[in-house]
Amino acid sequence: MPDIKRLSSRTHDLLGAALGLFALVMLISSPWQVDTTGPDPFYKGPLIFPLSVLSMMILASLPFWRRLLMPPPGARWHLDGQGVPWRTLKVLGLLTFFLAGLVGVGLEIATPGFLLAALWVVEERSKVRLVMIPVCVTLVLWIFFKWLLDVWFPMPLLFVPFSG
Amino acid sequence: MFEHLFAGFTAAFTLGNLAALFAGSLVGIVVGILPGLGPMVGMVVLLPFSFSFAPEIALSLLLGVFCGGYFGGGIPAVLMRMPGVPSSLITSFDGYPLTQQGQAQTALSATLLGSLGGGVISVAVLVFLAPILAHVAASFGPPEYLAAGTFGVVLVIMAFRNRLFEGLLLLGLGFWFSTVGIDGATLSQRFTFGTLVIQNGLDIVPICLGLFGVGQTLLLVERKILQTQEMHLSRSTLDFSKLIPLFRYWKTLIRSGLIGTLIGLLPGTGSILASFMSYDAAKRFSPEKHLFGKGTPEGCIASEAGNNAVPAGAMIPLLTLGIPGDAISAVLLGVFTINGIYPGPLLLVKEPVLINTLYWSMLLINIVCFGMLALWLRPFSLIVKVPGKLLAVSIMAVSIVGIYAVNTRMFDACVAVVMGVLGYILLRMEWPIVNLVMGVVLGDIMENRLRQTLSLGDGGLGILFERPITLFILIGTLLVIVVPLIMDYRKARRLAESSPP
Repeated sequence: MPDIKRLSSRTHDLLGAALGLFALVMLISSPWQVDTTGPDPFYKGPLIFPLSVLSMMILASLPFWRRLLMPPPGARWHLDGQGVPWRTLKVLGLLTFFLAGLVGVGLEIATPGFLLAALWVVEERSKVRLVMIPVCVTLVLWIFFKWLLDVWFPMPLLFVPFSG
Repeated sequence: MFEHLFAGFTAAFTLGNLAALFAGSLVGIVVGILPGLGPMVGMVVLLPFSFSFAPEIALSLLLGVFCGGYFGGGIPAVLMRMPGVPSSLITSFDGYPLTQQGQAQTALSATLLGSLGGGVISVAVLVFLAPILAHVAASFGPPEYLAAGTFGVVLVIMAFRNRLFEGLLLLGLGFWFSTVGIDGATLSQRFTFGTLVIQNGLDIVPICLGLFGVGQTLLLVERKILQTQEMHLSRSTLDFSKLIPLFRYWKTLIRSGLIGTLIGLLPGTGSILASFMSYDAAKRFSPEKHLFGKGTPEGCIASEAGNNAVPAGAMIPLLTLGIPGDAISAVLLGVFTINGIYPGPLLLVKEPVLINTLYWSMLLINIVCFGMLALWLRPFSLIVKVPGKLLAVSIMAVSIVGIYAVNTRMFDACVAVVMGVLGYILLRMEWPIVNLVMGVVLGDIMENRLRQTLSLGDGGLGILFERPITLFILIGTLLVIVVPLIMDYRKARRLAESSPP
């Protein structure tokens, strides 16, 4: 049964077509991306499976290409018709900074920093929650990963010059 | 056999295992009750913690989340018509009307009885069926595994046939992800783009954690968890006097448990189908058909027994063939392989104590979940009022740090974030994300078996048609494609005939 909302979204078609294009680029570049210098015949070698699945992806993307180039009447650019997810994009940006923060300033500073900023972005305004949640989550992570499981975290880049 | 059963019983009752299954069940119930999270999110968040435990303890922890999630999902469905897990939607058909009639305790008793019954029945089927299937699978060679894998892939594709091209694209992408890194058979580099960090490949754990732990929670940031403030609960524990009369629905309970197990056994079908088919069968056979949808405990029992039977059902192909039936089983497969245990027909011979511990643990998990919910019904029900956005950002931080901790590789955390973005987009677009996970999981199995089969057949696949088991599986695969298409065609024709010109 065709889904009207999906068929009217050009973003769906763009994603499908982009995945197909990605598969095409990988397929064309696969002789250089896959080391085939081994003595194995083709059917035992490392290329047969990637070639098959990339071909499958390209074929599956054809309807998306068709709709992208010849959009049906009423088709427009939207993800699911529920607007642009600004808040999610902001949290996603913070998540990227969090990753960099883990390397740059370490778990103990990056985690509460990320949580505080993210909670503010999601419109949490209770001062108690804004303090307690970052502190508690950081404490739980520190206890589990650093103290109990003894997971190695690299020295924060910020502190390297002072480490002697 | 009995000595292994006893050894498994003893291992299941060790303090560590009991603590793990209690903790897992608790987390499972909580994430099950909270709409928008579900057992998968709970499992992927706990996954990094589980790697430091012995395999049986890690499996008990994660199975606790798996089963607990389905137990918990029924509670908000009954009390607020807000299913905690998608399959509990069917429970709300009768559970919520009963609540509105002032019979919330009857509805909750039926829901918990159904969950417990479905879980226990499915474990019994698992114990009975796993050795038989393992015995059959012991004679499997690469062609049989390839055929079985193809059957699984086709089932997944056909389960989402209304999104056929999206499903194929995601399955292909998942397969491609599985090829990135060093090829195990030839040690050739594939799609590493000349970098050292990608040589280890894309691990299933950051992919799953990203898609579900990050992607699902990004979705929660913008959507409220609680839609209603309604909560009709007369007492803080389950009213056990309402439980006894429900045993008259024992036939429904057994039937639904069996249906759920069989559906769980099939790859890609999922708990919603199990719940729906059990409910539908209960309605067909019930002398009180007219009460279905208006509020009958039988509907709650059928639906919950169906979806709670899925976890043990999904374990059958995983343990006997090494082929996971869904994304959650794929995560469990990761736990096995990280501990150097490879599921397949020989697992039952090589690791009998572990397998029997698993059986007992699953049985205990069902009893523990029932007990926890029966005794702490009100506290658990109140969890639904925790603001989703607070949980979402906390889960993100735990997921990212957790995924780094698995291999102490920042690259894995980056993969998780990229997968989180992809997962978020796919979830919003309602693309079948399970196909992507199945592709990653089955990719390695399918590729190895394909190359081995081609080697046996001197470069051809004709060998698949020369062996009785493969032929049987391939005919089954063909039926899986043809039968739904015929049914869809008939349904469309009926609709066209019934609609006015």
